Order: sequence, then structure tokens, then C-alpha cells
Amino acid sequence: MKIVVTIKQVPEANKVAVNLKTGTLIREGVESILNPFCEYALDMAVELKNQNPDLKVEITVITMGPPQAKYALLRCLELGADRAYLLSDRAFAGSDVWATALALKEGILKKIEDFDLILTGKQAIDGDTAQVPAELAENLGIPHIYYGFDIKFDNKKINVKKETEKGYQVIEVRLPALVTISKGPSSIRRLPSMMEIVEARKKPLEIISAKSLNIDGNKIGLNGSFTQVIKIFSPPNKDAGEVIDGSDSIIAARKLFMFLKKKKIL
Amino acid sequence: MSNHIINSEKTTEEIQFKEINCVRGKDEISINFSSYLMDESKLSGTADWLFFPKSEAEIVSILDFLRKNKIRTYVSAARTGIVGACVPTSGSVLSLEKMNNFIGFGYDKNKNNYFIRLEPGITLNEINNKLRKKELDNIPELTPEAIGNFKEIREPFHYPVDPTEMSATIGGTLATNASGARTLKYGPTRKWIKGLRVLLSSGDILDIQRGEYFASKEGSFIVKKPNGEILHFTIPNYIFNTSVKNAAGIYSKPNMDLIDLFIGSEGILGIITQIDIWIIKKKQLISNVLFFDTEEDSISFVEQIRNNRTISPEFIEFFSSEALNLLKKVQKKEFSSLNIPQIPIYAKSAIFFDVPYSEEKIDIIFGEINKISKICNTSLSNSWSGYENREVTRLTHFRHALPENVNAIIATRKQQFSQLHKLGTDICVPGKHFRQIMKYYHTVLRNANLEYVIFGHIGENHVHVNILPKNMKELQLGEEIYERFSRKAVEYGGSISAEPGIGKIKTDYLKIMYSQKDLDEMRSIKKSLDPSLILNYGNIVKFNAETE
Repeated sequence: MKIVVTIKQVPEANKVAVNLKTGTLIREGVESILNPFCEYALDMAVELKNQNPDLKVEITVITMGPPQAKYALLRCLELGADRAYLLSDRAFAGSDVWATALALKEGILKKIEDFDLILTGKQAIDGDTAQVPAELAENLGIPHIYYGFDIKFDNKKINVKKETEKGYQVIEVRLPALVTISKGPSSIRRLPSMMEIVEARKKPLEIISAKSLNIDGNKIGLNGSFTQVIKIFSPPNKDAGEVIDGSDSIIAARKLFMFLKKKKIL
Repeated sequence: MSNHIINSEKTTEEIQFKEINCVRGKDEISINFSSYLMDESKLSGTADWLFFPKSEAEIVSILDFLRKNKIRTYVSAARTGIVGACVPTSGSVLSLEKMNNFIGFGYDKNKNNYFIRLEPGITLNEINNKLRKKELDNIPELTPEAIGNFKEIREPFHYPVDPTEMSATIGGTLATNASGARTLKYGPTRKWIKGLRVLLSSGDILDIQRGEYFASKEGSFIVKKPNGEILHFTIPNYIFNTSVKNAAGIYSKPNMDLIDLFIGSEGILGIITQIDIWIIKKKQLISNVLFFDTEEDSISFVEQIRNNRTISPEFIEFFSSEALNLLKKVQKKEFSSLNIPQIPIYAKSAIFFDVPYSEEKIDIIFGEINKISKICNTSLSNSWSGYENREVTRLTHFRHALPENVNAIIATRKQQFSQLHKLGTDICVPGKHFRQIMKYYHTVLRNANLEYVIFGHIGENHVHVNILPKNMKELQLGEEIYERFSRKAVEYGGSISAEPGIGKIKTDYLKIMYSQKDLDEMRSIKKSLDPSLILNYGNIVKFNAETE
């Protein structure tokens, strides 16, 4: 059983600010981490491996990014992935979600063609687009399910619990398939042991160039991107709402009336 | 090098006392400013005046007023201390919180090191944040191009003293010669102080750089004041115990540097108004928690990694079986509250240690740790490890979770017995006696059937025994045991207060470590430098009615 986990390295979100003049992210001194939702996807893969020893699950992680994205892959190897691939090339620079999905598709087909299941995070905490997983699945011609939080193997199929606004749905799907993960099996981020840190550095981690994937240069990077980020800005801070004390209903009603009148709603 | 201090000076700026920001009135202070009347020990007092000086000149003016009116003052910083050193027993509180500026930034060619000049009220967090971001643009340069050159260095810098409570101020940590977990690698505050300005209660200022003034053979210093007067004082005759981590009593040794007299003197000799500290490049670290089947194995592990040059640990912390059990209970109640993975059921002891992290050397360092682990009957698999900043921080929180949970348990019990409090030792003994004293702690506490945990800085043979009494009877029994532990530590050549100082809470225990003559010599130097006894009265040594 081959599980592929696609991951992304992101800046630690709560520490990133926007430079108002240039409209770019201020990344100085901000650490890059494995996107938390991708880590949930990895945790899910590791749990499936531990729960199904008979299936001989092999976990492969793959990402596209700059050379330092290697550290996000290393974290995956420390936390139980068996091998890792990094698609890294100047030709990939500037890729939007479509070009990224295409590159990942080529990488997966080239290296893990006989995959059974692809797990991804539901979205990355930097761009928050949540589009790459669906585009990857469409490009590969496989079904996909969003917001999964529990998976059970059932012969050539899986049963996925998918989060909904009011609860969850259970969906059965044949393999190969792609599931995006919205919640990990544990409420606490795992910590590797010292042994796992040592062992991770002995596991295969291969860096793949655009050329070795034989992709048409016009389909990746800026050339292959249909969208472009024009501006990044922080949403304006909202004022705290006003709370009206309801202990005296007449006074409260009068205050509410005055408030609505002031806002010209009444 | 001389014992003659000639650069005593008076401040040139005259400040009118009435211009100084202050709060007056016992009731006003106790109602609206009560936090200034206590520290983390929860010992509390009273005061009629609360001053917020903004400069050295303002303190001079306050001191004039206090001397004339025979009002005592208690210097207050962040009040993170745990021995009541800043707690006023009467008189006034002098809060240095408004004196929180960077005064200058410089580079010392001879030492090949950068330093910062600070006001005393700045917190360690503020210092390190500024250094991390290299935000030094509005700070005057003390040597040419110091800031420009500094900014070109890629690596982050920091002030490496880590007394756990990083909201403590530089002035407060200097007054108690704060140490902390990382003292194993970096030494206590004393080692990082390059220079000081000290304001004596007379209003005279001593500007002292390390390496300038040393005690004469007879142990004396002579200060020539600007008005021609001479101030003569003599250091105590005892040799301060530096063979163990120690913050008990006034530092003294033959031919000592004058600067060391003021560091750790808990404010009884003068008020620090300016501090020069050394800073260094911050190493990237990997934090590890390794679990053991027995306490003996964990102590063996510590003995073998402590001075191992390949491993070069920054700190080594200990969790006893009782400490882990307490945390396991917390996890059982609400798993996510500690934000760490499940503590292994088998673990009877844990060692938490930081080592330098680099991709090139990690194999070698962990290889060495692996060898030692096997000898100590554990394996690298029985551990947690993290090097990303968020993981290092997470593991640091895990370390702090133990004392926090102990305090929470005591707070609950206090609802039934309001006078109840935890009993936390701060004993440090020489390494050769560490196993003996650990055995002694366990035997005595188990025989007494008291609840307790042991944790802390095992790297320096300085662990905290926290006794958690359930009622007043157990508190009394715990207090007796606390004194027995202190006596045992002194018998082994250790210190009764390795870290927090003496303040007002531990003065009785000081008698176990020092003779009557030693204590009289501490009183004597206090009287020489503060004849009217207005500064931080009651810290370290008490005076009886006759000596006043």
C-alpha cells in the first residue's frame, strides 16, 4: 500500500506581518514550518500504517519549493515518512495553484506511479487557497474528498469521515483517491525521539529538477500560471462590538434603539 | 588597579523633589498599588510612599528627602523574586520601572565582544527581543560604528542569563546575581556584568568598570568624594562559597573586584542606576527529554554528559518519579493541557537537556548521547526531541509546567487552610555529595509521608525539593524538614540558597551557613555604605534594636 502525502513549507503564520509599502510579507526572522494541516495528513498516514501492518504501508512525502523546503520534508521523515521528494528548480518559481498541481502530478507519476492514496492538508496556512489538492486530483484523474478526519481501509476502497458544518458524512471511495485532511488523529503535535531524528537523516530524500520531469516549460512557474498575486494586505482591524447589559430590559431596549438610530438603521 | 576610587561623582542635574512622580498614603498604596507591596513569594508589606523616578538625578533627590526624614526605601523592579527582597516593611517603595531605556551600544576591542549599557528597569525579554530584531537605531553608540558593524553579523545575539522568569529586569537579576538553568554553560549574572553605576544612600555615585578597583590586602576600599570627604569600607573576612551555585550572603574574597561586591548584594549597599552587560551570539539548540527506568540511571547519565565536550549541554534539568507522576495525573485529567505527547508510563525519571544543533554535527552529538544512554539503561527511542523554535519553546513550557501545577495544587488547598504554602528548597551541594543528598531527601520525605516532587537544575547539583503540605500539621512538619535539609547541605559544603537570594524570607537559614562573626561583618559593610540604614532594610541580615 503506497500513501503519498503532499506537503508545503509555510512561514509560521501568527508571526507574519505585511509590509504596507511593498505589499509583500515580512518574513525576516520568521521561522518556516511544516504547514500544520499537512502535518495532520502525515499523522493520518502514520496512523493508517500503524493500524494496518498487513498492508505494508509505505509513506512518501513530496513537495515543491525552494531548497530550504527540505527541512519540512525532514520533519516528515522524523515523524514517520519513509522517503521524500523535493521538486526544486528556478523554473518552478512563481507557480500559482494550477502550475503547482501540475508539477506535483508529474512528480508523483514519475516517482510513485502506483500510489494508492494521496493525503494532503485541507489548505496551507499562508495562501489559504485550498485549491491545489482538487486540481492535483483532477489532473491525475482520481476522485477526491475534502475535509476528511478519519479513514478506514476496506479492501480496494476507503471509508472517509468528512467534516460538514453540522457533523460529518461517511463517504466510500475506490482507490486510488485523494483526501484532504482537516483534523489530525491527535490534539497534540507529535514530537520525534532523538532516535527518529537520527534515522530521518538516513532515509532517502531526493531533489528533483524540472528538467528531469520532462515538463513543458510553458506549463510551470510564472509561464504556466493563470493567476498572479497583485497585492497582499492585512484585513483592517475591526472595532470590538458593543455589549448591552440586559439586566434591565427597558434600559437595554432603549440603548439598542438609540444605537440602531445612530447607525441610521431605524 | 587600585582600592582607591576617585571617580565618585555627584549628579549635576538638580531635580526638585516635588516634580517626581509619586503616590502618597498607606491606604492609597495598599488599595490601588497593592502589587508594589509584594513579590512572587506572596510576602506583603506596607508603604507610605511609592516613587517612580525617571532618572538617576531624580533618585538622588528622593534619597535626600528620605535621609532627611529618616524614611526607609525598598527598591522594586519586576517583583518576580521569591524571597521578598523588594517587599517593603515600612517607609517607601522606589520602583525603577520607568528607568527602562537602552543607554548605549558598544564594542570592546580587547575582549572582541559587544556590550549594551542599560537602565536597570528594562526586562530581559525586552533586551533579547531588541537583540533578536537588531532594533538599535535610536541608541547612542559608545564606540564608533558599533551598531553598523553589529547589524552586518548575520547570527542573532542574546544576553544568555536565563533565570526562567524573563520578565525580570536586568537590575533585579543583578541585585540577586540571578542564575538559572543555563548557568551550567554560561555562569551566573556576575559573569556578564561589564560595568555599573551605583548610587549610595548618601547620594554619591560610584562608576565602576570591571577590572578597575580591587580590595587591598586588608580588604578595604577608599572612596574620595568630590567634596574631599573620604569613605572607607572593609569587605567581610569570609570567602564566599563559589564551589557551588550560591546566592546566599554578600560576595567577598581576598583582593576582590569592587564590582562583585554590589552584584548579588540584594540592594542593601546601593541602588544600581546603570548597567553594562556583555552579549553573545545565540546558538541554535536542540531540546531533548530522555526518560529512564530509575533515578540512579538518570543521575549517572547527567554525570557522564555534564562535562562531555562533544555533547556540550547548555543546561540539564531533572524530573523525579514524583514530578512525572504529578504531570501524568494532569495529562490524565486533560490530555492537551500540557501541550506535549503522553509521558511514558514506565518513566521513573527524566532528564531534559539542550545541546547545540547543526545538521553537520547532529549525528556525532546524538551518537555520543546514544552510547551514554545505553550504559544508563535507556535508549534514544525513549525521548522527545525538537529543534524548531516552536518546539524548543514547547519543551521549555513543559519544564515550567511542573512548578505551575504545584502552585495550582497549593492554591486549591489554601482555600481550606489560608496560611498554607509550598515549601521549596533551593539547595545546591558539591557533585560528590549529590547522590547522598537525593537519597536523604527521599528517605526523610517518605518516612514523614509528605507529598513532594523533585525537579530542577541537576547539571549543577541544584534541584528543587517542593513539599506540598495538605494541612497545617504537615506544613509544620515540612518546615522542620526544610531546616534539616539546609543543615545537611551546609554539612556537605553546599548552599542553602543557590539562586533566589536571601531577601527577608531566608535570613534565619543564613545562620546555618555563616557564623555570627560573618553576619556581623555583613552588617558592618552595610553600615559603612548606608549609615542611616535606609536601603532595603532587612534583606540578607537583620539588625537588632541596639545596632540601629
